[in-house]
Amino acid sequence: MVQAVLQQSVSGFYTDLVTRPTGRAVRENIERDLPPGTIAVMDFTGVGCLDYSCADEIVAKLVRDKVKMLLLRGLTDAHREAIEPVLAGAGLAVLCERPDGALEGLGASEPAPALLDELVERRLAARNPGGSIRLTAA
Amino acid sequence: MTRLIEVPTQFDDRSFDQFAASYAQAVDGERLLFDAHAAEWASPYGLVGLLAAGEAAARKGERPLLTAPANPDVVSYWARAGFFREAADLFEVHGKVPKVKVAVESEVLLPVTPVRAAEDVHAVVSTIQQRASAILSSELGLDPKATMGFAMALSESCQNIVEHAGTGGWVAVQAYNWRRKLARRVVVIAVADAGVGFRHSLEPTQAKRFGERWGDAAALEAALIQGVSRFRDPGRGQGLAGIRRYLARWEGKVAIRSGSARIAIVPRWDDDVPLRDGLPAFPGSQVLLIIPEQEAK
Repeated sequence: MVQAVLQQSVSGFYTDLVTRPTGRAVRENIERDLPPGTIAVMDFTGVGCLDYSCADEIVAKLVRDKVKMLLLRGLTDAHREAIEPVLAGAGLAVLCERPDGALEGLGASEPAPALLDELVERRLAARNPGGSIRLTAA
Repeated sequence: MTRLIEVPTQFDDRSFDQFAASYAQAVDGERLLFDAHAAEWASPYGLVGLLAAGEAAARKGERPLLTAPANPDVVSYWARAGFFREAADLFEVHGKVPKVKVAVESEVLLPVTPVRAAEDVHAVVSTIQQRASAILSSELGLDPKATMGFAMALSESCQNIVEHAGTGGWVAVQAYNWRRKLARRVVVIAVADAGVGFRHSLEPTQAKRFGERWGDAAALEAALIQGVSRFRDPGRGQGLAGIRRYLARWEGKVAIRSGSARIAIVPRWDDDVPLRDGLPAFPGSQVLLIIPEQEAK
C-alpha cells in the first residue's frame, strides 16, 4: 500500500503524494524491500492527490531504474492523469488493474502489449474469452 | 532617504508593471515606503507580489514601510485574505489594521500562505481540497474530478518556489466574479517569490543553447513552452507542462512574470500578450493561474 509507505516516509499525516522530496522518500522506502528486476505491485488505494512530480519521482523512476514491471491498482482517474503523461513522455509504461480486474497498459503505447504478453507467458495472468487479461494469482 | 512606491489603486497582474516600474527605480541604501493608502482593490496576485517586493526590499537594506489601505472595507479584506499576517514580518506597517480572523469567507479559498518547504506544499494541497471542491464544481461548473487536477496545478506552482527560487514565497487562492473581463466567476491562484527567477535558475544549463537570445524571456519560454528544467534528470520539467494541460482542458490561463519578462498561455476569452520582454525588472517569479466558470454547453 503506497499510502502506508507515505506515512512511514514523511512526518505528519498526509494522504497526498505531492512534491519531489516526498516522492523521493516514498520511492526510497519502497526500493529498500525490492530486489532489482522484479515484478512489483503498488496499491494506490487511500492516496488523495498525486502530482506530476511525485508520479515521476515514484512511478517513472521505479520503472526506469528498478523494476522489471510495475502493476498499479487502486488508481483513480486523477492518479491516471498524473501518471500517464509522465510515463508517456519518457517512453515508459506500467500495467494497471481496473476495478473489474482487467489489466491494461498506462503510459507509452509501445511497451504495454509486451508487458501484458510477458505476464501471460509467465502464467501470472490469463486471457479471458472476452479478450481482457486478468491476473491469475494475487 | 526614503523612496515612495505607490501601490496601484486596482492592484492586479495588469497594473503590476506600473508597480514594478516604481520599484525598479529604487537604489541600494534607500528605505522604501510602499504606499497602499489609496488602494481600492487587490487581486491575490497583487497581494503576494507586494509581499515579494517587501522581502526583496528588506533583503537589500532597511525594513520597508507600508501604509495600509485607508478604506476600512479594503483593509479589512486584505486582513481577512491573510495579507497582514505575513506583512507584519516584512514591513513596518502604518495605518489602522483590523484584527480579524483570516479566511472566514468563501471567496478566500486559501489565504495568503507562506511556502518555504515541501511540508508547506502538503498543507496547501490538503487545505485547498477541503475548501475548493464545492466551489469548483457547483460555482465554476467544473467536473468534480477536476478538483484533484486543480490541487495538482497548485502543488506544482508552489513547488517552483521550493525547487527553484532559493528563498520562500507566498501563495493565495481566491474565487470571485470577474465582471470586467468575463462576466463569469473565476478561481485565481497567485504564487510569488523574490528569489533568483527563471533566468538565473536555468542559466547554467540553458544559456549556451540560446546564445545571444538568452535572457528572462528566453528562460520563461524554455520553462513554460519547452518544459526544460535546471535539473538534468530526464523526468524534470513535468510541473509546468502538467499545469498547461490542466488549464487547456478548462480554458484557463497561465501567466508567469520573472525578471523583466512575462509569458502567458492566452485562452480565447483573453487578449493578453503571449510574451513581453523589456518590462521593469522585478525580483523572483510571479505566477498567475485563472480558471473560469465553464460555459453551459
